[in-house]
Amino acid sequence: MSGYRLATGGRIDRTRPLTFTFDGRLYRGLAGDSLASALVASGVTLFGRSFKYHRPRGLLATGVEEPNALVEIDRGPGRVTPNLKAPSLALYEGMVAQSQNRFPSLAFDLGAINNRLGVFFPAGFYNKTFMWPRSAWEKLYEPVIRRLAGLGHSPTTRDPDTYASTYAHCETLVIGGGPAGIESALAAAATGERVILIDEQEELGGGALGEPTRWAWLADATARLGAHPNVRVLPRTTAYGAYHQNFVAAAERLTDHLRPDRASGHREKLWRIRTRDLVLAQGAIERPLVFDGNDIPGVMLSSAARTLALHYGVAIGRAVAVMAVHDSGWHDALAIAAAGVRVRAIVDLRTAIDPALIEAARAAGIECLPGHAVTGVSGRSAVNAIRVAPGGTGPARHLPCDALLMAGGWTPTLHLWSHAKGAMRWDDASGTYLPIPGTDPVRCVGACAGEWDFGSGMSVAALPSLKPAHRQKAFVDFQNDVKASDIALAVQEGFRSIEHIKRYTTTGMATDQGKTSNMNGVRLAAQALGRPIADMGLTTFRPPYTPQTFGALVGVHKDALFQPLRKTAIDAWAEAEGAVFENVAQWRRARYFPHASEDMHAAVDRECRSVRQSVGLFDASTLGKIEVVGPDAAEFLDRMYTNPWKSLVPGRCRYGLLLREDGFILDDGVAARLAPDRFHVTTTTGGAARVLAMMEDYLQTEWSDLDCWLTSTTEQWAVIAVQGPRARDVIALLVEGIDLVPEAFPHMAVRDGRICGVPTRLFRVSFTGELGFEINVPADHGRAVWEAVHAAGQPHGIVPYGTEAMHVLRAEKGYIIVGQDTDGTVTPDDAGMAWAIGRKKPDFVGKRSLARPDLARDRRRQLVGLLTADPATVLEEGAQIVADPGQSIPMKMIGHVTSAYHSAALGRSIALALLEDGRARVGQSVHVPMPHGNVTALVSSPVFHDPSGARLDG
Amino acid sequence: MVDIAPLTLAATDLAAIAEPIGRYGVCLSPAPPCNRYSLRAKDRALLETLAGTALPQRIGDTHNGYACLGPDEWYALLPEGITLPQTEGQPVSIVDVSARAVGLLVEGDGAADLIATGCPLDIARMAPGRATRTHYESVEIQLWCLEETRFHLEVWRSFAPWLGQALLANLPD
Repeated sequence: MSGYRLATGGRIDRTRPLTFTFDGRLYRGLAGDSLASALVASGVTLFGRSFKYHRPRGLLATGVEEPNALVEIDRGPGRVTPNLKAPSLALYEGMVAQSQNRFPSLAFDLGAINNRLGVFFPAGFYNKTFMWPRSAWEKLYEPVIRRLAGLGHSPTTRDPDTYASTYAHCETLVIGGGPAGIESALAAAATGERVILIDEQEELGGGALGEPTRWAWLADATARLGAHPNVRVLPRTTAYGAYHQNFVAAAERLTDHLRPDRASGHREKLWRIRTRDLVLAQGAIERPLVFDGNDIPGVMLSSAARTLALHYGVAIGRAVAVMAVHDSGWHDALAIAAAGVRVRAIVDLRTAIDPALIEAARAAGIECLPGHAVTGVSGRSAVNAIRVAPGGTGPARHLPCDALLMAGGWTPTLHLWSHAKGAMRWDDASGTYLPIPGTDPVRCVGACAGEWDFGSGMSVAALPSLKPAHRQKAFVDFQNDVKASDIALAVQEGFRSIEHIKRYTTTGMATDQGKTSNMNGVRLAAQALGRPIADMGLTTFRPPYTPQTFGALVGVHKDALFQPLRKTAIDAWAEAEGAVFENVAQWRRARYFPHASEDMHAAVDRECRSVRQSVGLFDASTLGKIEVVGPDAAEFLDRMYTNPWKSLVPGRCRYGLLLREDGFILDDGVAARLAPDRFHVTTTTGGAARVLAMMEDYLQTEWSDLDCWLTSTTEQWAVIAVQGPRARDVIALLVEGIDLVPEAFPHMAVRDGRICGVPTRLFRVSFTGELGFEINVPADHGRAVWEAVHAAGQPHGIVPYGTEAMHVLRAEKGYIIVGQDTDGTVTPDDAGMAWAIGRKKPDFVGKRSLARPDLARDRRRQLVGLLTADPATVLEEGAQIVADPGQSIPMKMIGHVTSAYHSAALGRSIALALLEDGRARVGQSVHVPMPHGNVTALVSSPVFHDPSGARLDG
Repeated sequence: MVDIAPLTLAATDLAAIAEPIGRYGVCLSPAPPCNRYSLRAKDRALLETLAGTALPQRIGDTHNGYACLGPDEWYALLPEGITLPQTEGQPVSIVDVSARAVGLLVEGDGAADLIATGCPLDIARMAPGRATRTHYESVEIQLWCLEETRFHLEVWRSFAPWLGQALLANLPD
């Protein structure tokens, strides 16, 4: 192949030269060129190295089906994109492109040794060879294979670009801006309804861009589209997936076609489109032919040569040969010959060819070889000659040429049709699968529906040849480096289904999705199996149609907007106080409040001591809250929670335990009965949404007869926990209308009143074991009330404490945290909370499961405390527990540590653990083997501090 | 070596929209404070008696600051000072959620297009006077169409910073 720029023709602007680099070398192109057309015009033949064998590869196609010419585009720091298809890249001044999958250079690649050793790399090679020894996979095989096989490099810096996205709605969405798509859009536009036309190329036109006789029509049609205010045209946009109910995802490239220094704004925009009617006008892709040497640079699709000549004004070579089994190859040859490209010969396996074509070819000075086949190609990085034989098996003849065009017939682009679950049928006449028009409002038009004017052709799996298949380098899937012999091997090894053959050989997989290879693969498999191709079926296409950037997919969900970070009304105060934060679900919570040079350990110890000795202040606003209201509210809670609720009198609170249907603990929290028909239920921070959804599910689907409603009030209330022996003294100064004396306001009670002049629901509850209150105020007032409490507590040395101290304080009391001390396999009895089960209740969620033999059996893992022999050793959460550390590995594990802290109150470490038959082991020693030695611990009650609960009353 | 630089603007830095801000024909501004209630009942007439007003009947309709969000669900956006009674013993649920959410006004010729950047509804077909619970990307919102070019978004208070900044990020640069 020795391409050059034709003197005339094409849609390029010859007055606007551009310069660019490829692998560091400077080249020239023209405005309107693609990177591929500019390189071909400059005489470049070698575009890349193949995936597996590192074979030199040239350009095969001029559309997104291009499997070989994958390049990396460098648009500056953080803006390097690998695996872009050279024909799809609009050339701009200063473009920096690199080839891929070669080391050290494209022309000389060490990995090409794979090519010589190709006989050792058959289908399924990786699965077969790299299994043993197993340990070598991680350290040796996987890294080496990754390096050799990788396509492009992953980015190593933050992506500086931003991405937009939107939803859009229309009555008609047309995908594909070729003549069929444009006509469909114009017809739909005439109704006045909303129309969106999507096209992936730089300009509308599709196949018409390669047919100068249609340019006048194209200009007129495009202008008419533009005149419709109800039509939106999205060029440079790829509709990459069609989903349920006519939902289509498309990525619009906004700036990648511009010079980096002239690009501003979002890089891409994701369009999420819901349409009533979906028209697929994606056109068709030409099929390569399968023969020995069909991947040597210079062997390309006939349609690509036509596009290069007529769209870009580029000749593919100075002596071009065509291997056709389809009339379209003849049409292409005649068209490029008319454009000034010298076509030497047309080889066609068929003997019966339209005489008019032969006549026209001969008149154009082209030698015609009907009934012949190409049996070999010479050249390494460029074609220099082909071998042609009658019927592929007759006496061969040498034919010098510098490019060979393949015209193997056409395959409709049914990717989105397949995504949308459209049905297909085999069509003998066109030698491909065609869409079966369905009842859904999705339809294919134009070449996408098999309606093309390319003429007719024959169907052939591989060109006939005397050379045995396994000796031929006859490629089916260029991108995945699958040869015809690999498919034969898969069949020989027992694979029958095309889905299995696809996966075993990798034909049609990955980013390429079989655009050029699928039909040839199916044909070869059918031939090897001796089955009619109509019985083979086609593999399923999957989104995305072409590779898309993660940026386009995430849109606005990037960097600071990655996901919502929820803050409480008191968060800003904590931040100003220098709190260290942690994330809990989507919330950020103050973890501890270090003074000066304190580390976490020192700060937490101080915070814990303050609560135990005086008083502490804690932001509990993130707790989930649900207001359950209605005459059946108590009945509903009775059915949901393990505990009885009907007996709870208004003004009192109860700890509630919520199970899943399988009997394991899902959530917990305190609920208060505000009135006979009104409850204030709290959930864990992370469980709030899950619990509300579960409750709504039961209420709406199982118990719709109940008069009871759920309202999330999580964000209505700021919650300020005031805990410690001085808690009452602190809030007494601020509370109005509530008698705080213990007799009037006992532990586990709730009162309505006012604090600092605003209404409050005041709870007397404790998650620390100390006298405690939780002040609920409307969130608007949270910060002011918090500050007032903090000020009122100063005489008592009040300190704010964070989640870490909260964890320690509750662990000292043996209070569980759902999700930390439970893991979805813990029953109420395992957690030592059988007392929370209402025995007299007829039913509650999970009740039946608690009677399952495995949940009722002895020796289940139970919650216990652990006291290490060395009080300074804090166990590691998650560490496994064994009875005998001397046993041989693998040891029998009898439990694990769920929580472990240093306790300031006890002056030593404490831990909670789930231990097999744990309650019976209290007083015994167990062992926790760690990398640095065994830790011995005494099994204890999980309540380490104030077992009698006397301190709850202050 | 992968070198990921710290973000110049992190999630913790995002703030809710406090002052009117806009470009490209859209203005975002905080809605004035109001009283909010969630009202539930199987019998609409009973709620109407308790609330002292007629309630919209069709899901998605609004009337006098009340939106019908579901077959047994209404939501009230009332001027500050107008309160609803807390009931007892009736088969209804009226819950004060005034502090749960904040309102964001999106106004201007580009308002519908901006909301459509993250809301899957066909907003161009949303008539003034209609309201619905929906979402903007991953955040639940209520969308009230006040006029063709004027929308009120209700969002839980802790999601307001993300929502406001995400809307701004989706405006053309």
